[in-house]
Amino acid sequence: MKRVRLLSALLLCCLHATLARADTLVVFAAASLTNALQDIGKDFEAKSGHTVKFSFAASSALARQIEAGAQAQVFLSADEQWMDYLAARKLIVPASRVDLLGNSLVLVTPADSRATVTLKPGFDLAGLLGDGRLATGDPAHVPVGKYAKDALTHLGVWAVAEPKLVRADSVRAALVLVERGEVPAGIVYATDAAVTPRVRIAASFPADSHAPITYPAALVAGQDTPAARAFIEALRGSQAAAVFKRYGFSIK
Amino acid sequence: MGGIEWDALLLSLKVGAASTALCLPFAIGVAWLLSRSRLPGRALLDGIVHAPLVLPPVVIGYLLLISLGTRAPLGAWLKSTFGIQLIFTTEGVVVAAAVMAFPLMVRAIRLSLDSVDRGLEVAARTLGASRLDVLFSVTLPLMLPGILSGAMMAFAASLGEFGATITFASNIEGETRTLPLAIYTATQTPDGDAIALRLVALSMALAVAAITLSEWLHRRTQRWLGRR
Amino acid sequence: MIELNFGRKLGALDLQVDVTLPSRGVSALFGRSGAGKSSLINAVAGIVRPDHGRIRVGERVFYDHDSGTDLPIEARGIGYVFQDARLFPHLSVAGNLRYGLKRARGTHTVGWDSVVEVLGLDHLLDRRPWNLSGGERQRVAIGRALLRQPSLLLMDEPLASLDAPRKAEVLPYIERLAREFALPVLYVSHSIEEVTRLADHLVIVSEGRTVASGELSDIMSRPEHAPLIGRYEAGSVLDCTVLQHNDDYALTTLRFADGQLRVPRIDLDPGAPVRVRIRARDVALALSRPMDVSIVNKLPGRVQQITPRDGPYADVTVDLGSRTLRALITRESCDRLGLQPGTPVWTMVKSVALDSRSVGFSRRPRSASPAQAPDLPQKPGAPAEAD
Repeated sequence: MKRVRLLSALLLCCLHATLARADTLVVFAAASLTNALQDIGKDFEAKSGHTVKFSFAASSALARQIEAGAQAQVFLSADEQWMDYLAARKLIVPASRVDLLGNSLVLVTPADSRATVTLKPGFDLAGLLGDGRLATGDPAHVPVGKYAKDALTHLGVWAVAEPKLVRADSVRAALVLVERGEVPAGIVYATDAAVTPRVRIAASFPADSHAPITYPAALVAGQDTPAARAFIEALRGSQAAAVFKRYGFSIK
Repeated sequence: MGGIEWDALLLSLKVGAASTALCLPFAIGVAWLLSRSRLPGRALLDGIVHAPLVLPPVVIGYLLLISLGTRAPLGAWLKSTFGIQLIFTTEGVVVAAAVMAFPLMVRAIRLSLDSVDRGLEVAARTLGASRLDVLFSVTLPLMLPGILSGAMMAFAASLGEFGATITFASNIEGETRTLPLAIYTATQTPDGDAIALRLVALSMALAVAAITLSEWLHRRTQRWLGRR
Repeated sequence: MIELNFGRKLGALDLQVDVTLPSRGVSALFGRSGAGKSSLINAVAGIVRPDHGRIRVGERVFYDHDSGTDLPIEARGIGYVFQDARLFPHLSVAGNLRYGLKRARGTHTVGWDSVVEVLGLDHLLDRRPWNLSGGERQRVAIGRALLRQPSLLLMDEPLASLDAPRKAEVLPYIERLAREFALPVLYVSHSIEEVTRLADHLVIVSEGRTVASGELSDIMSRPEHAPLIGRYEAGSVLDCTVLQHNDDYALTTLRFADGQLRVPRIDLDPGAPVRVRIRARDVALALSRPMDVSIVNKLPGRVQQITPRDGPYADVTVDLGSRTLRALITRESCDRLGLQPGTPVWTMVKSVALDSRSVGFSRRPRSASPAQAPDLPQKPGAPAEAD
């Protein structure tokens, strides 16, 4: 009996050692963070030896997946609302929550469009769109859509925009539609407009026309691993900050 | 049942019927080519026709997007010549559903075509019917059980089509938000579970009704042809 | 005239056809299974295309290799009765009958009422094909082909898939139709029984070749054709008329040019034309008039030709005067009786051998008034009494 106990203790130590050495980490992050996080992820893997797997989608989709029991360790949302949603259901580690980034909202058009617009109250959105539609995330759940609705309401043109809306699944899906020229205009984050040459920024929404765009990060409840903690630390570090800034995010 | 449910249901039914009707003549034509003709590229045609069965629906949706979007070659031509826009419209949903359902219909129709007794067609010709006349007066009626089966299958498949629809036609309430898309949207919305469940129940009821109807139709037509 | 002069290779079969058929009456194509009979009429129908040659029916050229003519099936104006009926399951009997009628061009000579009446289809019109018996199905198939207003009727072993009672049911209808509707019929069969009852003209097909073609009784009486017809069934055909009936003994006396024949009673009025087939194996010969024998039919004649056959058999053709009768006897008996061409002999045929399968309606055109036309048996199947 003594020998069995010794053997199993030894086994557990070995297991722990191997586990402690190279963790796999799953990160759910808002679609707008795709490019930046992929760069940061590579650096992190090289430095720490852990493997990082990302899943990029609309914050709404990701939150619902975590609610359904998805095995993710870290969640990065594009707005407070979806982080609050998980917090209310005790699905995040409250102490680990931190506001990481900010962003700004822009109106984009396909690169070959010559349209110009000044974003003042009551601007001629109908004229800009013609018989085409306006692409953005679904205001019912996608963060960028909610910001867009706020902004358009603030500018008094929501009634014009609503029937012409293409409610995309995520900000990147809306971006693709503008890239392809299927819509004459779209509302995305400035950081998204920056990663593709196939759209141009026609105008920027004033920061006071919508709620501040905040990207909170947190550990998923019950998934508190050393690798996950290390990753959030890395996100707050200076190297990550440099990458984020390069892509156009503001650091909170 | 609220407005969302009604809109989604009516749209799904409309799309199902329209995509089935759209598929039918092409499915019969392709089934004929595969079964009766001696076209050299038959194996290739067979492969292309069955692609939507094996490829992910999102891939099909993407292929539709890059060929039938308003800036894409075929789509632009459709818009300028006929004023037809497929992306963001119900017509686009119909096309996406039709493409996904097409292989199912071709299979069912081809099976029934293969089982038509060629001797009866020869007999019809000895009675003075031209080849086209034989097709309409003998072959098609004898294929009826298979055609109805294929149509019901296509209808049911259209009701459940999601991936190609959302990728190609997008998710626009009233225009392209069929039952599956409505369910998906509800699952993404906070506190959308109640609506989602109602929509799911509706979808299941619809599916059961479609299958029951299909079975009944099949049996009736088989009996009419004296096969039971 | 129907001119068939063509060739076609079909797998192992090399079909070479060269016959001219009369443009009226029933021409039977007889031969073993696989001889090429069906392929022959399929070429006439246009279902099979010859490799070379010509097919002409009356004024119309159906196929001519040299001029590139090849009329499509539907343009040939033929009616075809298939061995398996091939009725359309999605149509009623009436619908099937109308199918060809609707598509027939030109003036209609074959009327709906006469077809329904001749084939006894009146009570079947609303039924669907799967609800019919085999015999009923064939009758509908025949009616359908007739209503197509064909200028030529093709029949490919229409009775082959029927059992004996059904065959007996349908055969009289076929006998009647050729007479009623005055159109040429090409009738394929491997049954000599059917052929002798129905045909005016006989074509023997063997291994893809048309080896004999001529008037029925002429071909039947030639000994050289016996191997092709089959030793069991070969014989002679006599056209007779009903003379009188003997109800006590249930016998009928038939008269023909060279004498009389007594046969088991048949249901026809005196004066009705009848055709009798006498199998060679049922004919015996004697040098002197047989007395005190049970055999009733004794006909005098002279030996015309003796053809020895393999095994014990010899084929003897006897000239009765205006007709010949064939007898199959042993070679031994031939030698024993000292038979030579010219020897006077008495032929004997048992009445019992001339059963209902051997006696049928004559194919001769009637000069008599319609009142003397034989009626169809009241109950289809009645002629099939105990053999």
